[in-house]
Amino acid sequence: MARPTSESGRIRLTWLVSKRDYLRTVRRRGYLFGTLLLPLGVATLMAISAFFSVDSVGDGGSSEGTVVIVNSSDVPITEISEGAVRLSTLSEAEARERLDAGAIPEYFIVPADFRADGEVTRVEAPTDASLSRLESQESKNQLVTYLLRGALLQEAGVSVDTAQRILGDVTITTVTTDGTEVSGWDVAAGIAVPMAFVGLFMISIFITSGYLLQSVTEEKENRVVEIVLSSIPADALMSGKILGLGGAGLTQVGIWVVTALVALPLLSSQIPDLGAIEVDPTILVLALVYFVLGYLAFGAIFAAIGAMAPGNREAQQYSGFLGFFAAIPFILFSVYLSDLDSPLVLALSLFPLTSPTSMLIILGVAPGIPWHLVGASLLALLLFAGLATWASARIFRATVLLYGVRPSVGQLMAALRARQ
Amino acid sequence: MTLATELPSSVSSAATVEVREVWKRYGDTDVVADLSFEVHPGEVLGFLGPNGSGKTTTMRMILDIVRPARGAIKVFGGAPGVQHQDRVGYLPEDRGLYRDVPIIETLTYFGALRGLSEAEARSRAQRLLEEMGLAEASRKKAAELSRGMHQKAQLIATILNDPDLLIVDEPFQGLDPVNADMLKGVVRSQRERGAAVIMSTHDMGDAQTLCDRILLIDKGRRLLYGTVEQVRDAFSDGAVEVSGQDIPRRAEQLESVTDVTEVDGAVRYLIRDGATPQDLFRELAAAGAHVERFAVEAPSLDEVFIRTVAGDPRAMSVR
Repeated sequence: MARPTSESGRIRLTWLVSKRDYLRTVRRRGYLFGTLLLPLGVATLMAISAFFSVDSVGDGGSSEGTVVIVNSSDVPITEISEGAVRLSTLSEAEARERLDAGAIPEYFIVPADFRADGEVTRVEAPTDASLSRLESQESKNQLVTYLLRGALLQEAGVSVDTAQRILGDVTITTVTTDGTEVSGWDVAAGIAVPMAFVGLFMISIFITSGYLLQSVTEEKENRVVEIVLSSIPADALMSGKILGLGGAGLTQVGIWVVTALVALPLLSSQIPDLGAIEVDPTILVLALVYFVLGYLAFGAIFAAIGAMAPGNREAQQYSGFLGFFAAIPFILFSVYLSDLDSPLVLALSLFPLTSPTSMLIILGVAPGIPWHLVGASLLALLLFAGLATWASARIFRATVLLYGVRPSVGQLMAALRARQ
Repeated sequence: MTLATELPSSVSSAATVEVREVWKRYGDTDVVADLSFEVHPGEVLGFLGPNGSGKTTTMRMILDIVRPARGAIKVFGGAPGVQHQDRVGYLPEDRGLYRDVPIIETLTYFGALRGLSEAEARSRAQRLLEEMGLAEASRKKAAELSRGMHQKAQLIATILNDPDLLIVDEPFQGLDPVNADMLKGVVRSQRERGAAVIMSTHDMGDAQTLCDRILLIDKGRRLLYGTVEQVRDAFSDGAVEVSGQDIPRRAEQLESVTDVTEVDGAVRYLIRDGATPQDLFRELAAAGAHVERFAVEAPSLDEVFIRTVAGDPRAMSVR
């Protein structure tokens, strides 16, 4: 067996720990469920969307596209045939005969006193209620209403174009001064989609850090940690865990991002409004950098908490308190929408424990990338992540073998000052 | 401070572990104070001491899990650390296994941490599981194993890499006699293989039968250090146990003794200062006693332990 050098041995051992923790985590049911939830949700959305589009095509080609009117009034209704819609006027006996024969699903009776009370009767064969049936009824009701109003307007001498304007929708388009068209969906998507991603990123940071915490407390509670520590130095063990579980978190986020990149073009063919969403690759890269640094900062602290806490329950309580910091920017989200330059937003973006969430929100809602703030916050986060990793490694080493007792503040300070 | 004590004849002279004047302090307490000792290949060192005497901390320092404040530790002639992980096996007092992971996976992981390739670790683990009668449990999770199976699996993890240095902290604690015997056999076989073994135990019977040398510490300080014979001889009070017929039962009948007691049908003589067991034997013969058994008594390690911790000055001669 080749004698490992101290450094190559450490690297090999760190790799072993990270590989084991990575594989163990990505095989957990909870992880698989959380990771695949987004792709499965998108696939379900696509399937539902595809189903309804097929359903509506089917409607257009069947006899249900035909509207039959029994006109007993003096309103001048003329037969039309446009695209998939055909309007026929029949006597009530003929219409009933066709309905009974199953040739048409229903007919409408416009009574003689229609002008007085505006009531129309719809006659249909007994049938089970269904969503598609209700949709079909609603569209035909609207069509009949549209035709009757159009007939009355024409009778009153209103031109066809004017009648169409009166009866049709008024479309308002918003454009910016540089001529770019802005839809209402753009604004909503511009807030909702980044927020969804910020949420997912933060959830992933905390799920991953939670796995790290669990991994440390589990080894401590199972009394495995001392066996492991006799083979690998404490800081290398901690590094291996942070890398392995960080890799699991990155895999999760990677799957979500790839899902979004693949699904958006596919979904936009079925849901046209989704085409308005554009993902800036620079923002995506920055989001990943904030994810990595945010995870390193929280992960290092969580590892130290896991080493210090007498048990998993206590460790969860401490880490939950830290999680509150990450939620603060969400709680103050309205400030981000109203004034991105406010001192509060600046402070939250520079304070390392709130910085990842704050900056991810800013990247989502700001009209451009605020590079100065990005640089300053990344520097602060990088320094803090480095400091947290250094301090956590010392605390981890000093406390991970204390079973069932909580280290005192003095012990922690001594660990930080200790000669390594 | 000298480390010189007589080495057992079976022991090689190059030290596997050398601890020199080591100190370790936690808070205001010196948990290890000026401690020195050596362990050699093919030797079992019994590491004795009351709870909290510094044994576990010393073992952790040898393994580089914690570092001494002062003094020097050499393992295989160099500094302790990760570079020796493939030559060391460690069974800590607080030990366990991953509860929800199959035993074979845990052992493979531990073997890989000890420098084996994963394939080699898996194959050795499987072989040792079979040898210890755990072949069918290899795919079981630790949570599904009995306590005895747990402990066997832990010992397998400790010797998986054929270590040259084996450190075992209370290895037989809580074991039933059958499993304890089997594990004692494993410790013996490791010694016979040439491994240096440091074994912490509270059981003086185990120390007496398994160890070549013993090291007794209290409050981090060395109280006794030597071969089992050296230590017992140092504490021998000159008692001789005799059985047979017409054995004198009063001290006044024999010049070389100061006290006589009867123990299970035998007579126990306490030898007067300056006299020897040979003097007593001659006197018994002269008195017409028919001696069937004549045994010079040495105290058990249990007695040595209690007397040393209580401050018996005779410990000074084997410190």
